[in-house]
This record gives sequence, structure tokens and C-alpha cells, in this order.
Amino acid sequence: MTEAISQTIARRRQVIDTFKLELIRRLNLPYVLEDLHEDVSLLGSGLGLDSLDALEIVLCVETCFNIKIPDESISVLRSINTVVDFVIEQQDAKGGRA
Amino acid sequence: MRKSPLREKLAAAGALFRQRHGVEVVSHFGNLRAECGAVRDAAALADFSFARVFTLPETPGIDLLDSLLAGNTPKIRFGRVLHTFLADKNGLLAADCFVANNDQEFVFICESILPDAELDALLGFGGKESPATDLTAGHVVLSVDGFKSWEIVKRIFGADIIGLPYLSIENYHFANEPVRFIRAGKTSEFGYLLIAPVKIAAQLFDTLKAAVEQLGGRLIGVDAHDALRLEGRFFNIFREGQRVGDPLPLGLQWMMDMEKENFSGSAAIRQRRAAGLKQKIIGFAAGADCPALQTGAPIFHEGKAVGQIVTACISYVLNRPLALGLLPLDLAFSGLQFRLDSPDGLVLRSISMPPIMPKSLTVKLDEM
Repeated sequence: MTEAISQTIARRRQVIDTFKLELIRRLNLPYVLEDLHEDVSLLGSGLGLDSLDALEIVLCVETCFNIKIPDESISVLRSINTVVDFVIEQQDAKGGRA
Repeated sequence: MRKSPLREKLAAAGALFRQRHGVEVVSHFGNLRAECGAVRDAAALADFSFARVFTLPETPGIDLLDSLLAGNTPKIRFGRVLHTFLADKNGLLAADCFVANNDQEFVFICESILPDAELDALLGFGGKESPATDLTAGHVVLSVDGFKSWEIVKRIFGADIIGLPYLSIENYHFANEPVRFIRAGKTSEFGYLLIAPVKIAAQLFDTLKAAVEQLGGRLIGVDAHDALRLEGRFFNIFREGQRVGDPLPLGLQWMMDMEKENFSGSAAIRQRRAAGLKQKIIGFAAGADCPALQTGAPIFHEGKAVGQIVTACISYVLNRPLALGLLPLDLAFSGLQFRLDSPDGLVLRSISMPPIMPKSLTVKLDEM
């Protein structure tokens, strides 16, 4: 595997694991990291979180990555992967990892 | 082969049929793009009578279902629906299930990849002693899905449906007959399952069809539902479920209660969970000019075959092929580039799912 790909994967894995750990802790989810597939739906189907939980997810991102999810970007809460995409995009926009 | 009580009506409307696991289903009505578009932009009606439907009295149904299903049946609140699965003794998927706590009864709906007789044997519902009542032959299941589908069911059953949360059940009447009404779509747009006695099936079908068409929608088949489930990243037992079998690489841990003692296949699943995941499925997109991706096609990375496509569709929202592929864990990340079929084949990109923003997420029913 090339160095560039290894770095891309390592960075994404770090954001995913940080987010999942905080999600499990805040929402008291009965899972270990490996149980949470990154594409699982956060709201409604999948984890079945409600609007109060959605607020926890927003706070979770803010705490872990110092990134705010504005109201108009709430669609990023579709899955763990879409949240992670948003975090990485925002980190890049800030010129590095927050 | 089991056939829908609505077969003649469906055939008259142009349905093309095929057999799926011993049951005849409607593949499509001749225009897959229009059928998918109807759900995304308006509303659509589909015959889901291929599903098995049972009712069980609260006692002993609650314990019986809990001993079979991966989810926690006693935790289902009144009026709510649990989405879970049924596994065989080897911990391989047998059915994608909804269980609804409906007053004094539990309603159990199975989308199964087992022929009816094998599912019956796994459930153990046969025999005079069984508390389960099989509604399958005497009822139809109709699925109304789409961005505007709520308008249709509101018109027919009343404004109360607006307040129903996702995964809930309510009882209504149509032509003086009871209809079990479940909000539980799998397209990522609004969706409702209606379980109605055969004696009113034709009348209900005609009423829903007329209402759907009035809104610019149409009848659709399971091919459209398969594509929409993938596009919305809803689990599909008939596609990736059947091909992969093991619920863990499919990411279905959310359907399981990890803390309950036993359920069908639990020992095998727990053993595999303890051994650790080696592969999992992730989403892929190909370029807009690429042909449809084929199930089973190998996926290459840096010259080596690393995985395979397990289900695919054309996304008419994104206008490109989408797929789910099974990959080793160290490569199962979105944002990477792969090749299809050979080391220098078509470029595939792993993507975050779901890749679309459903229109229904922009509608706040509780504010209407």
C-alpha cells in the first residue's frame, strides 16, 4: 500500500474511532467499536436515535473535533461516515487537523 | 409457488413477474427509472404480499419471538415496531423482520430468503399448539412509499397518520374491515405497510393506485425497491443479505441485542463476533459513463483482488452505478480508489453511504 493511501486510511480511522468512542460513551450504546458499521443510519432506522440524541451527536462532534455542525448541515447526520466526511472536510478547510 | 391474491390486477396493470425463494413477485412494470423516480419525487404502490405475516397473542408471543429473533422483543413499547432479523442455527440470515407491539397482539412480518416450509420449520409455528396465526394467505401487504406518500394515506385513513413516528403501528378501518398500518419504509422516503384482509384487497389496491397516480406516482415492483434500498443504504435480505449471510460483515449489529441470552443462531454469531471481523461491506460508486456493476465481480486494489461486489444498482438520483462490496477491514474505508474486474479495469470509488439526501428528510410532518 502506498504511503499516501496509508495516511488517508490512518487519518480516517482516527476520526472514525474518536467519534464512535464518544458516541458510545455519550449515548450509552451497548456496542464496542467494531459493532458500529460506519454506514449505519444514525437517526430513524439503524441506531434509531431521536432528535435529542441528534443534539448529542452535534455536541459530540464539537467536543471531539472543535467543529460545529450548523443547522443547515444537519443532513450530515445520516450516518457515521457522512459525519466523518464532514469533519475531514472542515479540518481541511481550516488548513489542518483540529 | 405462492402467488399474490392481487396477481390478476397486477398482471392487468402490466406487471412482469418472477420467482423469488418460492414466491412470485412483481419485478417491475417496464420502466425502472420511472418507478424509482416515482418514490423519490411523488409516491408509489407496491405489492409486498410476498412477506409472511403472523400474529401472536402477547402471552406467550413475546417470549416465543424473543427466543427466536436477534432483537429484544420485550423492550418493544406499545404501538412501536422493532426491526430485527431471524438467523438459522448457523447464525446465517434467514429473514429480515418487523415485530410490532399492537395492543394485545404482536404482529410479525418476515421478508424471508427461505421457502415457506423451511421458514415454518425454523420458526416452529406449525401445529395445533402454536400460538401463532399465519395471516399470509388471507391478507395482502401493500407498500406505499415516496416523498408524497403521506398525503395518500392521510387522505384515506385520516390526519392521525401524520403523527405516527417511524417504526410504529396503528389500526385503521377500510370498507369496514381492519387494516394494520405500519410506518416502516425502506427507501429512505416516507413509507407505509398496510396489512389488509383479502376480501378488501382489490378495493384497497384500486383506491391506493388511483391516489398514487393522481399525485403523479405509479405502481412499482421489487426491482425498484431493491435499487432504492441500496441507494438509501437500507439492508436488503434479498440482495446482500442472501449473498453474504453473516450479519456481522453486513453491519447488522444494530438489529441485535448483545445483552440478551439466546436467540436462533446466537451461539454461532457470538463465536464469530468474539473471533473478530475480517471483512465488511462498504459502498462503491462508478463513473456516470460506466455500465451497471455485476454482483460477484471482483474488486482490485493495487493490482490484487481484494473483494467482490455483493449487490449493485443504477442510482437514478446520482445517474451512476452504485454497489456494495465486501472488503478486508484494512481497506474498508470510503474515499479510496479501486478497480473492477481486473487490475486495470473500471475505476470504482469507495463512498460513504447513504450517498443521497432523501427529499422526505426536508419535510417535517409533525409541523403540518
